[in-house]
Amino acid sequence: MFSWQTQPLTGLNFLGMVIGAVIVLMVVLVVVMYTIYFERKVIGWMQNRIGPNRVGPFGLLQSAADVFKLLLKEDIVPANADRLMFMIAPIIAFVPSFMVLAVIPYTAAHVFTAGLNVGVLYYIALSSISIVGIVLGGWASNNKYSLVGGLRSAAQMISYEIPLGLSILGVIMLSGSLNLNTIVAHQATDRFGWYIIPQIIGFVVFVIAAIAELNRTPFDLPEAESELVAGYFTEYTGFRFAFYMLSEYVYVFAIASLGTTLFLGGWEGPFLPSWLWFALKTSLFIFFLFWVRATMPRIRIDQLMSFAWKVLIPVALFNILLTGALSLIL
Amino acid sequence: MFGFLKGLSVTFGQMTKKKLTLQYPEVKPEWPERFRGIHQFIPEHCIVCNQCARICPTSCISLSGNRDENKKMHIDTYDINFEICILCDLCTEVCPTEAILMTDQFELATYSRDELYKDIHWLYENHVKHGNYQQLQAAKVQAAKEAEEKAKAAETEKATVEASTAGSDKGGDA
Amino acid sequence: MSTTLRSEEMILNVGPQHPSTHGVFRLVVTLDGEQIVDADPVVGYLHRGTEKLAEGLQYTQIIPYTDRLDYIAAMLNNYALVHTVEHALDLEIPARAEHLRILVMELNRIASHLLFLGTYLLDLGAMSPFLYVFQERERIVQLFNEISGARLTYNYMRVGGVKWDAPPGWIEKVREFVPFMREKVKMYDKLISGNEIFLHRVRGIGVITQEDALQYSLSGINLRSTGIRFDLRKNRTYSIYDQFDFDMVTAENGDCYDRYYIHLEEIRQALNIVEQAAAQIPDGPVLGKVPKLIRIPAGEYYTSIEGARGELGVYIVSDGKDKPYRLKFRRPSFVNLQILRKMLIGQSMANLIAILGAVNIVLGEVDA
Repeated sequence: MFSWQTQPLTGLNFLGMVIGAVIVLMVVLVVVMYTIYFERKVIGWMQNRIGPNRVGPFGLLQSAADVFKLLLKEDIVPANADRLMFMIAPIIAFVPSFMVLAVIPYTAAHVFTAGLNVGVLYYIALSSISIVGIVLGGWASNNKYSLVGGLRSAAQMISYEIPLGLSILGVIMLSGSLNLNTIVAHQATDRFGWYIIPQIIGFVVFVIAAIAELNRTPFDLPEAESELVAGYFTEYTGFRFAFYMLSEYVYVFAIASLGTTLFLGGWEGPFLPSWLWFALKTSLFIFFLFWVRATMPRIRIDQLMSFAWKVLIPVALFNILLTGALSLIL
Repeated sequence: MFGFLKGLSVTFGQMTKKKLTLQYPEVKPEWPERFRGIHQFIPEHCIVCNQCARICPTSCISLSGNRDENKKMHIDTYDINFEICILCDLCTEVCPTEAILMTDQFELATYSRDELYKDIHWLYENHVKHGNYQQLQAAKVQAAKEAEEKAKAAETEKATVEASTAGSDKGGDA
Repeated sequence: MSTTLRSEEMILNVGPQHPSTHGVFRLVVTLDGEQIVDADPVVGYLHRGTEKLAEGLQYTQIIPYTDRLDYIAAMLNNYALVHTVEHALDLEIPARAEHLRILVMELNRIASHLLFLGTYLLDLGAMSPFLYVFQERERIVQLFNEISGARLTYNYMRVGGVKWDAPPGWIEKVREFVPFMREKVKMYDKLISGNEIFLHRVRGIGVITQEDALQYSLSGINLRSTGIRFDLRKNRTYSIYDQFDFDMVTAENGDCYDRYYIHLEEIRQALNIVEQAAAQIPDGPVLGKVPKLIRIPAGEYYTSIEGARGELGVYIVSDGKDKPYRLKFRRPSFVNLQILRKMLIGQSMANLIAILGAVNIVLGEVDA
């Protein structure tokens, strides 16, 4: 099996890396396009509608048309906005969302996956950088709704980073590794099977914290449209707006991939090729996010914070304790 | 505790239900008979009584008529301003001759406000295209046929009874 | 250096172009952090001067204007006006017309309450109930379309009766609708009432005390949620409501949850009325003996009905002509809205939408 990670950094290998990154970017863009399509279809079905159906067969090109429209739109920078910050904020928000994908093992052959031995840490660390982009965007817009949205977002994402990390800790304790490739490999041989079984509490905490991290319903306070109009990106238009949307959906994909890798056995599974298993499990995870979105009302900001600190973190800590105790006993 | 799970089951159960979307511009909704859409106007029925213009709450109807040689009122102009018309149906309610009626048309969007002033020709065209023109014509043909038959029957009757009375020229122009 | 952090109050304009103000309603909120220090409702963006316009119109001509007050429950507005005129003229209404009126009014009440459920849940962030309620509302609206020819602005009531008799098969359709709707109410109960997030957002929020409710002259569900038993259909029976068996729904806490719950429960009660009215509707004329030109004897007349949002009253001052000298609508939304400031002060910004939504205003009625 070819592994470019162990090769010396020559010009040719560097070119290979760049090509690999571009391919991943392209794949991710297509995945994002169809994640949006999938979301609109699923929520449409749940509301007895048919969802997008006009552009292309079955509306398959709807997202492409939307992106194209956004690119053609005028790029408005509000007069009283902090121009520089306003312009770079979407980029700050987007870049980490793409970078975290580097450690996700999509298939059994880790062609484009960095075998980083601190993969989980890398993911969590990088994903928090996006918060800077969101707060900056909210602040630079010079709009009260944006500001409130940005600050809420910062408070929420920082709070939920902790239970997210703690819930993953149980998995790390079981597998003894921070490397996502190793974690998947461990799940194939573990006596309890996929980690969703021994780590069910951790999984529940992970899903809740993940939804909150993604700013999705029922935790979509930063962009609570019935209160804050559109939250931190109220003033954004055109492709800068598209960047925010893009990073949001890349994170949907990324966190679904992370959840699949950590709890659902990653690409591991019988009969079907490994990438298909990965795609199926990720789709299931994403479907659950959309399903929740179609059902739940929005939680209130103070309840959201107290839920993180008073419920999720104690439960996650208890899970760690339980995992430690059980792995000592069993 | 887990009340939200019930909610999740409800939304999931909806997925397989029949979709209700109406593909609007291609598929038009079916309107009931009483539907109050844009007006149609039938000039030959109008007796220029002015009742519609008087009852209109927004005064969006303006009309003018003439007395022809037979001292019969005859409509000249009939305008409805759809900028202010609220489609309340009071004009058709008061019309004694069913000269102003409503159709099932409802698409009034235009690029210019001027186009919302609909005159007698437009309203008549609406009558022909979307109104009860077909039914009226059919009824007219039917009435003419019946009258003809009646006349024929009368004639044959007359012939059998003998032409003792003065020939009448009724019938034919029902 | 001072040890305290310098802070200042922020003024936030909620509306008039805000997704959750249900129209063009503006609320100037003074915030201290996330806490509301002051809230100043600004109304009038949808003012059309209906009351002034009515002074130049005959009574029949005013009916289409009432459609546009509370455009979600236009049948009830229609009735409020013709009821006052009938009261002034002391008219006999044929039994069939009264039954048809009850049918359409209660169906309209259901449609209005359904829309409240949908928009309230949308305000709270759940999008599916909004689309579900429109399916049932669509059936009601279709029924109205068949009987009155319009889906929103019905213009169906007339002084002395109704405009049209029910088309053939219409009563059967209403009868079929009742069990269908009962099932759907159960579904909403299942979908919404148990959801913990929803309960946390509405329980104990926006509490109105009985004293406040009376002082602010609240009516309708806002009043009944505090436990005061006041429903004009029971307390000051009009039309033929005394012939039907239904309960007045009240609650005790006066919070947003109670208001939501009463809406749901009133749909069930309205269905009871519809069922009974559809079962016992007699044959006969639908328009009583009414003079061609309606002239109200000089004097002042006021009657009120239980609208979808509260006491919907019409006050007519007549000088004996065919047009009112002065016509005043007591619009429940407008009156109920006044307590909003008191409810909001001291609350957190996040509760604003939950409280505003539960008052259930319709801007067409607030601004008239």
